[in-house]
Amino acid sequence: MSQFRSIPRAIRFPLTQPSLQHRSFTQSHSILGKKPLPPRLQLKDEDLSISYLKGTGPGGQKINKTNSAVQISHKPSGIVIKCQATRSQSQNNKIARSLLADRVEAHLKGDQAPSRISIKADAAKKKKASKIKKARRKYRGLEGENAEAEDGSGEEGVLDADAGGLEGGLGDGRDATASEGEVQKVESKKNLPVKGKEESI
Amino acid sequence: MPRIRPSTLIKAYQENPLLPLLLKECRTLESARNELRWLREHALRTSQTRQPQTTTPWRTYLSSICRQRSRGYPLQYILGDQPFGDLEILCRPGVLIPRPDTESYVLQAAKLVEQIALEKLSGNKEDKEDKEDSDTTNVPQSKPLQILDLCTGTGCITLLLHALLSPRFNLRITGIDISPAALSLARKNLAHNLQAGHLTHRASTDIKFHRADIMAVNPSSNGTPTIENLLGEYVAAEESDHDHERDQDSSPRELECDLLISNPPYISTADFRNGTTARSVRLFEPRLALVPAPRPHLTTTADVRPEDIFYDRILDISYRLRSKVTVLECGDIQQAERVVSMHTSMAPPAEFRVQIWPWAEEDMAFYGFHSSGGSRCVIIQRV
Repeated sequence: MSQFRSIPRAIRFPLTQPSLQHRSFTQSHSILGKKPLPPRLQLKDEDLSISYLKGTGPGGQKINKTNSAVQISHKPSGIVIKCQATRSQSQNNKIARSLLADRVEAHLKGDQAPSRISIKADAAKKKKASKIKKARRKYRGLEGENAEAEDGSGEEGVLDADAGGLEGGLGDGRDATASEGEVQKVESKKNLPVKGKEESI
Repeated sequence: MPRIRPSTLIKAYQENPLLPLLLKECRTLESARNELRWLREHALRTSQTRQPQTTTPWRTYLSSICRQRSRGYPLQYILGDQPFGDLEILCRPGVLIPRPDTESYVLQAAKLVEQIALEKLSGNKEDKEDKEDSDTTNVPQSKPLQILDLCTGTGCITLLLHALLSPRFNLRITGIDISPAALSLARKNLAHNLQAGHLTHRASTDIKFHRADIMAVNPSSNGTPTIENLLGEYVAAEESDHDHERDQDSSPRELECDLLISNPPYISTADFRNGTTARSVRLFEPRLALVPAPRPHLTTTADVRPEDIFYDRILDISYRLRSKVTVLECGDIQQAERVVSMHTSMAPPAEFRVQIWPWAEEDMAFYGFHSSGGSRCVIIQRV
């Protein structure tokens, strides 16, 4: 912000508006114009059945369990979400609830209306496409350079591998999206057998 | 313990070379994956916060903590904390790690105490306006609830009770432990959760931690205060607080306690050795907090088993304090039943309502308890 210090107050004020906000040159424009997601569906408590899966066998002082998975099922639709993203039961409960709400919304709306999940998926798709496009553009440029100087190619490869490794390591459990992915994976595996169980009861 | 199949090990290795190490302790691929994720997050976080020159790279650190974990070293000692309700409880070697079972008991105890206190409040306020009843939610003006937590360890029970009950009630919670290491950690936990905003600022005045040997009858030679000394102070403090009210009261000397809760050492020496107690617990958690130390000088009522001696003593304390609710964690149903029969032999059963919790199927399913094995708690309610 230091470069704005000399600007008079009257002009500085409108900078807080999103359209004029200070942004770095690496930030893509689409982030600024992002629309907020529609509000999350509120699920009724009586429709949910929650269970904390502590695993079986003797508990208490004799065993130190680290597993604190929470499983929530939405009885009317039969959708089941299991979450073990964090070590905290209450945290897992909150994550599972919000995931379940999104799932139920998508289930109710079907393919016609845009739901939170479909909006997110579209955004991710768009982002991925643009990333691929940018990468292609970059390598096309690099190939041009390599034709001129062959020495640079080896170094370039090492650098890229490093960046990829770091990204993967950081993204794995730190941000919410990655753990959501993890949960949904588990959930999709669990979904069918649990549904079957419910039918048999 | 069933053997891990080689195919599982190969599968785990192909997924991540560190997973087989964690499988040794976790036993299932699912929980090994979870632990690896948490350990990796921890390794990355420590590498980011420390100066890069002084520490090993995070991958090296990660494989070293995975090896440590494969030897059974508790995950919570590596990561440094354990979530307990909405709190974050710091864990250090030498102090027992909070268990999820205990969390369920605390939630249940808080529910019960709240219910009793609100019933009493609404009973007292019958002659007043209805409006005031709804006011109790945000104006905790009534007399503070007295809560005593024996064998507090990390202080997890004390702190969670405060987090759960402080929005509606004034509280005075005392946590007692014999171990100085536990007490200093409990105080650290209080400060840590205050700073993190998990506890309201009232916690710093409402909660007190004291050192005492609850099993000792006479003052011991090493200067550890007995529970008797402490209870003397407890009463004195309470009386000075309510001096003015007490003057009009008919029974000025009666002790009061709204909740006495304890997770004492309860494992028998046999269970400690025969494989019932997990290797990780046996090797790395303090025996002091797990197996009651034999007390040859303490001649209690004839047929109390060595693993039950704490209950005998705590029940006695609870009667003297006229505790309204007493919650005791037990190792299994059999032990819980022994505690119930100890109680019925020590006190007139007509004055109390006793239950072993969780008893109902839906409670067990909800909290993830095993239907036959696993821990239970005994809830004694004065009626």
